[in-house]
Amino acid sequence: MTAAAASPPAASAAAALLPPLDDPRSQVLLALADDALVSGHRASHWTGVAPSLEEDLAFSTIAQDGINHADLWYQVLLGPDVDDLRAGVDALGLGRAPEQYRHAILCERPPGDFAYTLARHWVLTRFEAVRFEVLTRSSDAEVAAIAVKLGHELRYHREHADHWFHKLSGGGEDAHERFRAALAAVLPASLGLYEPVAGEDRAVADGLLPVGHPDLRALIEAETAPLLQAAGYDELVPEPSATVPEADAGGRLGRHTDDFTVDVWPEMTQLYRAHPDARW
Amino acid sequence: MLDTGAVRRAVEDVPDPELPPVTIGMLGMVHDLEVSDEGIVDVELLPTFSGCPATEMIERDVVTAVSEVPGVTGVRVRFRFDPPWTPDRIDATGRERLREFGIAPPGGPIHGAVTPAGRRALPLAFGASSAEEAPRTCPYCASTDTVRDSAFGPTPCRDVRYCNACQQPFEAFKPL
Repeated sequence: MTAAAASPPAASAAAALLPPLDDPRSQVLLALADDALVSGHRASHWTGVAPSLEEDLAFSTIAQDGINHADLWYQVLLGPDVDDLRAGVDALGLGRAPEQYRHAILCERPPGDFAYTLARHWVLTRFEAVRFEVLTRSSDAEVAAIAVKLGHELRYHREHADHWFHKLSGGGEDAHERFRAALAAVLPASLGLYEPVAGEDRAVADGLLPVGHPDLRALIEAETAPLLQAAGYDELVPEPSATVPEADAGGRLGRHTDDFTVDVWPEMTQLYRAHPDARW
Repeated sequence: MLDTGAVRRAVEDVPDPELPPVTIGMLGMVHDLEVSDEGIVDVELLPTFSGCPATEMIERDVVTAVSEVPGVTGVRVRFRFDPPWTPDRIDATGRERLREFGIAPPGGPIHGAVTPAGRRALPLAFGASSAEEAPRTCPYCASTDTVRDSAFGPTPCRDVRYCNACQQPFEAFKPL
């Protein structure tokens, strides 16, 4: 198989630690975890180079939160009876081949300029807040309890994202227009967040994910569309008939772009691939 | 015979690695504790923040501390999220220790700090105070003339504030 031939050396070592991943429950948990892991890695780009100390702290904390939220979902996926929890979490986070990741392609895009970073941050945070809120009603008690906790923590991300949304959209013409351009790039791509994972219908029927990804869109846009309109960005509200552009589609099924396969993925897995048994 | 009270004290006295004057008992992190007839201790803890890097250290420290209680044959630590930890679980001693450490605890006034008289307030260049929360009491001077300067701080559980009265930045435990 070509996929196996292209897999990294550590994949074989990690494969022994990976639980079965093809069932709908695992696919949903991977979507939750991988969105957080990959957007967290992209947020960490700003550590040390953000335009102000406060923003450096903000994106460093957001990165730490994202990577830790992923860690928690990987723990849920592994279950309570796993032999070596930390080795299992590392195998899930760092030991999979790129095509086994289930995040939306928007999460893997480079940070761009600060306007693009803040536009994506606003969209992702609004999306995550609603998805957590939906998950608090999950039929899986552990998933529901974690969603309550992570929803509390996300409040700070949301305040920060909303603060910048209002500051830039309501700022001078330069800020308003640069933020418009950033949102115009992010919003169509954000439709990739609403693609379902394989077998998602069953996870929805079981109540694990009470509202499937495609149906999250209406809930989220009901909140974001009025904000975009109030900010003077009426024409950026996605049409109900709009679908995700081809370049940004397929992430939930494991199709990723060079931004992931030759940029984020090699960097974030480098140490693990060199030393699969490393502990920290 | 295993002294269950001694086991509980050993767990509750484990210090928070990032805030050593405060114990996990004061923070309200201990949810449940069971001791079996065979001397196996099961401890359930509530993490303050899911991304807290101190949780693994706390787990190790709890195992070490409980293992030293005579009669204990094994220790198991589990973190759980139900109920979610919230700052109102911090007890009165914990709140006072946090204040002494320069970290404003959430909720209500704190006692013991002295208010300086007649200091001039400097305008703050930037500020993203939350509209959802009343100003936090300054841990140094007890003034409530404070603003949130940054929603993010040195650890996931803390943010950064500024006191207009005594002109000191200080950290605050995040409300949840």
